[in-house]
Amino acid sequence: MSAKQWGFVFKQENCIQCHGCEVACKTWRGIDLGVNWRRVINIWNGEYPHITCSSTSISCMHCSEPYCIDVCSTGAISKRDTDGIVLVDTKKCVGCQACYDACPYKVPQFGVDGTMQKCDMCLSGKQDAPNFAQNAPPCVGTCPTKALVLKKMPVSEKKEMEKAMKVFFNKSNECRYV
Amino acid sequence: MMTKKPGQAFKNYALTLDEANAIARENGEKVVPTFCAMCGPNPTCGVYAFVKNGRFARVAGMMESPINRGGVCPKGHAAPQWVYSPDRLKKPLLRKGEKGDGSFQEIPWNEAVTIIADKLQQQKKQYGPESLAVLAPAHRSYSNLIRRFLVVHGSPNYGHSGICYVQKEFAFTYTIGCQPRCDYKNADLIILWGRQPIYSGPAMGAVRDLVAAKQRGAKIVAIKPSVEPDIGIGDIWVPLRPGTDAALALSMLNVIVSENLIDAQFVETWCYGYKQLQEHILKYPPEWGERITGVPADQIREIARLYATTRAATIDLGNGVEHAPTANDAIRSVAILMAITGHLDRPGGNLLGGGGKSGIPRPKAINLPGNYTREMIDKLVGPEFPKVFQPFWGGTSSAYYRILDSVLTKKPYPVRTIISPGTQPTVSMRGSKRIVEALRKVDFYVVLDVTRTADMNYADIILPVSTPYEIDHPFENRGNWIMARNKVIEPLGDYKSIYEFFLDLGVQMGYGEHFWYGSITDYQNYQLSPFELTIEKLRRHPCGLTFKTEGTTTRTYENYSRVFQRRSAALNREPYLPQGKVAIYNTTFEREGFNPLPEWREPPESITGTPELTRKYPLILSDYHTSKAYTAAWQRNVPYLRELQPFPMLHIHPKAAAVRGIKNDDWIIVESPHGWMKVKADLYPGIRPDTVMILHGWWQGCRELGFEDLPLLDGGANVNNMYSVDGEKAFDPLITAMSSQTLVEVRKYEC
Repeated sequence: MSAKQWGFVFKQENCIQCHGCEVACKTWRGIDLGVNWRRVINIWNGEYPHITCSSTSISCMHCSEPYCIDVCSTGAISKRDTDGIVLVDTKKCVGCQACYDACPYKVPQFGVDGTMQKCDMCLSGKQDAPNFAQNAPPCVGTCPTKALVLKKMPVSEKKEMEKAMKVFFNKSNECRYV
Repeated sequence: MMTKKPGQAFKNYALTLDEANAIARENGEKVVPTFCAMCGPNPTCGVYAFVKNGRFARVAGMMESPINRGGVCPKGHAAPQWVYSPDRLKKPLLRKGEKGDGSFQEIPWNEAVTIIADKLQQQKKQYGPESLAVLAPAHRSYSNLIRRFLVVHGSPNYGHSGICYVQKEFAFTYTIGCQPRCDYKNADLIILWGRQPIYSGPAMGAVRDLVAAKQRGAKIVAIKPSVEPDIGIGDIWVPLRPGTDAALALSMLNVIVSENLIDAQFVETWCYGYKQLQEHILKYPPEWGERITGVPADQIREIARLYATTRAATIDLGNGVEHAPTANDAIRSVAILMAITGHLDRPGGNLLGGGGKSGIPRPKAINLPGNYTREMIDKLVGPEFPKVFQPFWGGTSSAYYRILDSVLTKKPYPVRTIISPGTQPTVSMRGSKRIVEALRKVDFYVVLDVTRTADMNYADIILPVSTPYEIDHPFENRGNWIMARNKVIEPLGDYKSIYEFFLDLGVQMGYGEHFWYGSITDYQNYQLSPFELTIEKLRRHPCGLTFKTEGTTTRTYENYSRVFQRRSAALNREPYLPQGKVAIYNTTFEREGFNPLPEWREPPESITGTPELTRKYPLILSDYHTSKAYTAAWQRNVPYLRELQPFPMLHIHPKAAAVRGIKNDDWIIVESPHGWMKVKADLYPGIRPDTVMILHGWWQGCRELGFEDLPLLDGGANVNNMYSVDGEKAFDPLITAMSSQTLVEVRKYEC
């Protein structure tokens, strides 16, 4: 596995909770209704009247050590050696949804055909598949305040990102959209 | 003391034209540079539209646009679903059955225009030209074309909402000479007051500046009844009761005056009536303010002191303050706050217009402001501002609601024809029951829109218009940027634009010479003449032209002597500020029989104004103007947006919900003295526990997601059906602003 892997950096202080990334992803990848490869989730901080809200934009984290791969009984999920992108082979997927249960961020999605689908980072770097990105995927490109960045990072940095997202995601389970 | 760090530049990842073309080549697509059209007013974000096999597929932000610099919001991305919506109108329709029953027959465009023209000519002869009114949508490039049509026809009845932007423009202008801008870039303190900069045009720049200000250490305060995303980047939330902004501002003035936190020199030199204010404001101590607004007196003191003692402090006053019968006094009080604390036209404060000439041309005006006569003004059916102040912003105006009301009251005369170009009176304007009655009764009602509208069943003629993605006009100009609009796809049906409609109608009416004999090209070239451009030449610049400011770019400050001398647009041309000073004590208003100093007036129903109602209706209800997913009352039919916000949700504090046995997502009944809604509960910790709020404009279904249309009146989710339209209590006496506050009770819906 390459020492540096692609990863999303989310700068919460720049996020204005507009959901542009979420819909950019849907239109650029032609994603079915009811399926989200990227979503903006919100949490409340504090209690009335000392209360604010914050958001995070979440897609597949392409984890350094993906839980989903471990639980996949058909070997449909893999992590690309060259850059760490986590991919699904829908031909192998049987739609058992074990990956969904294992994912700490509840990322895996199942459309009408029942197989797992999720963010493939628009295959950053023009390999293997239709590529929509030049400098960055549409979710990154569209952000009015540049809260989302895609970059190659050392595994240690990636683990930090994963940890921070887990904390936020666990808090958000009690909250709903603002 | 706050220190300033340099603002952090945002790194851009959006597409340039070359990059967009490269992606398109790879995917077998075509790129069309154009404008986004998914919000209002005047959307001007630059986008690249990608077209595959003649189909509009998606958009990317245009990096070259100085407005959005490549950013695009969710509404912008969802555009193709709006264009291809099964809700699109298909053909011009003529009413066949009774008004309201929805029975129509298809007719050709030309025939529809002829029928309208014949009707208008006949009514002009029989009732006078003032029998025509056009209800204005959110301000767009065609707004001035509508004004032109009305002026040429001879009607003063341009129907402005009375609840958006122009109310601020009026109260500010008659107090400090103009509506000030906010200097986000240099401010150490930014107060967002009844303002929500994120849900409307988040990519257009203001939010970028706000986030940059925050990151260089500016403090952000938000004054509003519930938490919205701006509070996510804010420092202090001041949760006031809906519609009590005037009371809060008056109490802040009380603190500042009594603690002498004023800029004495500015007050001495540039203010008229401070002495009268000193005495008048004693009535409004913070403890009084707390009783009315629900904001603790100590917090009122804290905010007042913070604002008065921070040198670079700016107030961004939003539309929220324009929705109360005391709007004029709320806005005036804020203007006075800015003035007496020395925050006007100074770095980091509130800037007055025209500091330094930009040297950038403006498109030639087409609204014919010089053609108004006393006779026309006298014929206003329901003046938005008293006649003596007309014309005001862009021309004369009657209040949207009063136009409809005239059909029922016949006072001073009934309007006979109403045209709704891209606006839906039953869901956008208060008093829905009365509006339905008026639409049922009006002689002739014309609807122009892209998709089905809430009230089209009451129309005599419905015209299906093209989306801005199906036309190549008009060009748009914002700031120092100008660009031609390009056609992304051929119109999907028998469509024309609203621009073409008014040009065609003008020609048909015999007004051809004023409407470029129907030529859209000549119309655009006329407007472009100050740029020494033609539309053909402008179109050769795919990403438009960005003008550089000529000469010195440093702004001049303290332009008081010039701005305070401005002459009004009203026929009498009297100065806005008769003393050439800030009108703390307003002698013009006094002369016309209005209060010279700002005062507090209760909304038609409120906890402090009508306590007798609180036993039956203990909660305050108000509404949101727009949301992350929707622009006002449209776009509910767009699936990618509907997914973000599928149901009409009432924001209710968990404590208020708990005592009523209400849980998240429960269907609930919300009942006011004027109507009731069936909506869902959203247990929302960031709202005042005595207040509930909901987005306005709900009615339209979304076929792709299986959502049905909702009833327009009782039992639906139309919040405009909930408010009072009492002629004595629900309107600001000077600037029309209508109340969007009432009292309600909420209970679980039992089926």
